[in-house]
Amino acid sequence: MNLSISNSNQTDTESMTSRKIYAKTIMTTGLCMAAAMLIIHLILLSMGAQSQGVPGRVNESRDALQQIVREPEDVVMFFGSSMTRAGFSPRKFDADLQKMGKQVTSFNFGFGGLNPYFQDFFSRRIVEEFEESDRRLKLTMIEFNPFQTTTTRWNRARPVLDAFLTLLASDKELFEIARQDITRGVRLFNIKYVRANISAEMITTFFGREIFPPQRRQQFRDDEETIAERRRLGRLLNEQFDKDYPNYVDSEWSYEWRGAGTIPEERSAETLALFDEFYAVSQTDARMKNDRLSRIRSADIEELNFEPLLVEHFINIVKNFQRVSDNLEVIMLPKNSKWIKTSPEAEERLARVIAQIEAATGVTIKNHQSIPEITSDMYRDTTHLSRYRGDIAYTDFLVSQYSNIL
Amino acid sequence: MIFNTPLFFWFFCIFILFYGFAFLRQTPKVYLILAGSLVFYGAWNYSFIPLLVGSGIADYFIAQAIYNAQTTQHKKRWVTLSIVINLGLLGMFKYADFVLLSVADLLAALGYNASISTLSWVLPVGISFYTFQSLSYTIDVYRGDMKPRKGLVEFVAALSFFPQLVAGPILRARNILPQMHAIKLPEWSAIKHGFLLITVGLIKKTGADLLAIPAQKAFEAEGAISTLELWTGVLAFAGQIYGDFSGYTDIAIGIALILGFSIPLNFRVPYFAVSPVDFWRRWHISLSTWLRDYLYISLGGNRNNNRTRNVFITMLLGGLWHGAAWTFVAWGAFHGAIITATHGLANMKIFRGFSESNARLVTLVKWAITFYLVLIGWVFFRATDLPSALQILVGLHDFGSQVEWGNNAMAIFVLASVWVLLVHIMDFYVIKGADKLENKPWLFWILMTLGQGICLFIGEPSNEFIYFQF
Repeated sequence: MNLSISNSNQTDTESMTSRKIYAKTIMTTGLCMAAAMLIIHLILLSMGAQSQGVPGRVNESRDALQQIVREPEDVVMFFGSSMTRAGFSPRKFDADLQKMGKQVTSFNFGFGGLNPYFQDFFSRRIVEEFEESDRRLKLTMIEFNPFQTTTTRWNRARPVLDAFLTLLASDKELFEIARQDITRGVRLFNIKYVRANISAEMITTFFGREIFPPQRRQQFRDDEETIAERRRLGRLLNEQFDKDYPNYVDSEWSYEWRGAGTIPEERSAETLALFDEFYAVSQTDARMKNDRLSRIRSADIEELNFEPLLVEHFINIVKNFQRVSDNLEVIMLPKNSKWIKTSPEAEERLARVIAQIEAATGVTIKNHQSIPEITSDMYRDTTHLSRYRGDIAYTDFLVSQYSNIL
Repeated sequence: MIFNTPLFFWFFCIFILFYGFAFLRQTPKVYLILAGSLVFYGAWNYSFIPLLVGSGIADYFIAQAIYNAQTTQHKKRWVTLSIVINLGLLGMFKYADFVLLSVADLLAALGYNASISTLSWVLPVGISFYTFQSLSYTIDVYRGDMKPRKGLVEFVAALSFFPQLVAGPILRARNILPQMHAIKLPEWSAIKHGFLLITVGLIKKTGADLLAIPAQKAFEAEGAISTLELWTGVLAFAGQIYGDFSGYTDIAIGIALILGFSIPLNFRVPYFAVSPVDFWRRWHISLSTWLRDYLYISLGGNRNNNRTRNVFITMLLGGLWHGAAWTFVAWGAFHGAIITATHGLANMKIFRGFSESNARLVTLVKWAITFYLVLIGWVFFRATDLPSALQILVGLHDFGSQVEWGNNAMAIFVLASVWVLLVHIMDFYVIKGADKLENKPWLFWILMTLGQGICLFIGEPSNEFIYFQF
């Protein structure tokens, strides 16, 4: 048997040549990749990928945390989905409590597009900030949104999974993923530090949806007159906003506004009347039917087939906030039962999941789905409360429920 | 490890640092290639490394035994052992469940309710490639086409050479072993060409991943789908599989060039073929020539009026090589049939003029027929099962279909067609005139940067290469 390998008489000159040629190779590769990455960063910057949408709102709210923990008064936080964003007015909440002689500063941490998996990571970052500052939340309200916790919702989040993960997870958490799956781990660090949190999938999906728009299997259409009126009123509302708030700095999560929510007193009677008109032409039969179908497709809103992983992550969210909260409530927000009718099987599944969360966290979930204070005309679509009406009524309800513990 | 992932990028950068700066002599370089290849392979699954190395060691010693054997009878026994080991591994890991399930289906069809349990073994990635590569060595030694090489580490390093390990091209021992024995320092021009091929491969892979969307829509549609969308899906898959596979081999060849190795071309603008025979001279050349040299010729080739039978068997097994499913068998059989038909028609007086003509119009007609047949073949290849393949074939020719087109159906059809054409033009240019571009450094590096930028921008590194599963 011959295990030897032939020896070459490579001279020092050849070694030098080798080093030279591969130095050139490495340098060229590095320059090429750096230039390519620069182009990508410029494109992403021009697209506003970091400052708009979910990443923009997450980044701005996370940046605000350092200021939140320094607030002199007790801090209240409502953490949840886009339903929280639409349904809770922190400034109204604070003002009402102030009238009762209670000084609190509350914040709307409602985020569309973040399911409990992402929210779990985000809640860790919030809790870390509070723990590092040795600060506690006087009241934490956490929204449990059943249709954010379905398998359909989880599957729909896959294209943004890694990008959102790098946005929300710490390096230590990413390293833990890398230890289990080196390929994915390197990819995640690459997205975080080289690609500015924007994965290729996000871009492909973005352009893919433009080129291959998803099929709408059943579409209902308003008459042209209604559509035109809706557009006209939308334009008018925008113009009115600019007039009413000439100094408003455009942002996804405004500290001044505490994250979201409205104050009717800040608007003129004329504007509020315009909102009523706008919602009248927005809540047409065709629009609501389309919206309902879209929720069924995107979130399985009526059958509620839960994703166990997301339920586990929701339990983590509650446990995370328990570490820094004096009072903690888990809440199911009002449901537009006129349009969304869950099946008996879905209700059974929901009851089981609620029992699981309550058993794991020791917190009883407060069900606000059918409170009489919220009527069907207080929604802007099949799930979200409307501005200046739904959010105000629901904030009033929250004040009545929780003022005694503040 | 997948070429278009950050993990591979960093792996390759580190590898180059060792390869170009520390391991400068022949022997350490071979050890480094072997170690790098095993890390590359092990990143997917370390438990299959012994299989790869073991089959290489077995064939190394079997080749020595063949060469040293005194009689033809003994030589035959040794080469048979090599064939049994390699095809046995392939059979166990790749085809055992397929055979068991097919037997169960057959028994069920005959009225017997047989309960057959399957092995459900994980298919080691690249096994179809490295077993064929290893087999080519023992068969060549048996035929006297080459002498066995001395140097076990060199042999295993060549077999597991990471650029081509998991998805080819299938290298011949006589091609790669001499290169591994005397590793050359590449010229800068070769490295530049390597960069070009890597960029072209990445662009193809990125395009292929985008084409996967309409292809999946057509082949895995839940409801009825229009004829136009079916054609779009089939065309998109044709573009996807070409971009994906030839993209992989372009990157493999490019990486090898940077390391000082030369790997032969695996694709030569295949959709420009003007006959099924011509198609197989251009598509997956390393497999088609392997099948020709080691199977078709072993079966007798063109001799004894058995050409039809031999072509058919070769294509059938070529189809089966791609995967353990009846759809692949049907794909192979279909290509066997159209190649046989092409031979038959060429021999008929009435078609001889057409067959031998090089007139532009005739060439265009030949191309159109060939491309149509290749597309039909892809239906068998991509369909989830034979009944759906037949359903899609019917749908493709249902020009009176009442099913409405989806949004942007025509635009997507045009985009898919343009992409397939552009990729072929790009490949044609790379084969014929890359040096012209490479001699204009500024333009060359700007194009490389833009190409890499596009791939980094929209490439989806989570998608594996299709041929990994074969």
